[in-house]
Amino acid sequence: MDTTVLAELSGNIATVGYGLAAIGPAIGVGIVVGKTIESVARQPELQGRLQILMYLGIAFTEALAFIGIATYFIFTAGQ
Amino acid sequence: MTNTAGGHRRPSSTPVFQSVLRGGLVLAVAIAVVGGVIGFLAAGTPGLVSALIGALIGGLFLAVTAASILFANRLSNGDMLHPAYFGIILGAWLLKFVLFLIMVFLLREQPWIDGTVLFLTLVAGVLGTLAIDVIVVARSRIPYVSDVSLPGDGDRR
Repeated sequence: MDTTVLAELSGNIATVGYGLAAIGPAIGVGIVVGKTIESVARQPELQGRLQILMYLGIAFTEALAFIGIATYFIFTAGQ
Repeated sequence: MTNTAGGHRRPSSTPVFQSVLRGGLVLAVAIAVVGGVIGFLAAGTPGLVSALIGALIGGLFLAVTAASILFANRLSNGDMLHPAYFGIILGAWLLKFVLFLIMVFLLREQPWIDGTVLFLTLVAGVLGTLAIDVIVVARSRIPYVSDVSLPGDGDRR
């Protein structure tokens, strides 16, 4: 072993990429859903409007996740 | 405010989600056609196949959210604080991402896939679906007070 190497990492960095791509939407959807539950508990008669707003929030959050995961795996294909 | 059909309450948001699903379907078909032609011209048969798969993933996977909300509404009888409601929506969300990861893992090693075309159609599908969602929601008309049963119409539930 080369004595100048103090630490060595092995494995696939894609694992870290997936982790990073999963953190954002997980937090985002958690906040969206949590706030929706809060709002419905306060004003149940607003359910209809809150549902479609929650849907928009989830759609935007998951869009970034889709693009993030696809970017990493598709652009590293064939390497 | 609340329609009763077959003894079940129909939430006021149901027509909005149905329009979202219809719009998403039309968009997925449009992206499959346009992306397929461009992909075929750019990268041959792998480009065509990649564009079709990208449109399928973009359209189908993003429609899962709206479909899961519709299903959850039906099952929980329009009550958002029913335990099954968020279980179904978040469960469908989780399942969708796991399936998406599996698909990406399986597809990236295939020789009949053109990564760039697949990525671009996927991004077009995701952004197009978002645009349709916003347009449909902005045009929807939902009363401020809905989905609530008053003491007088307790027999409706």
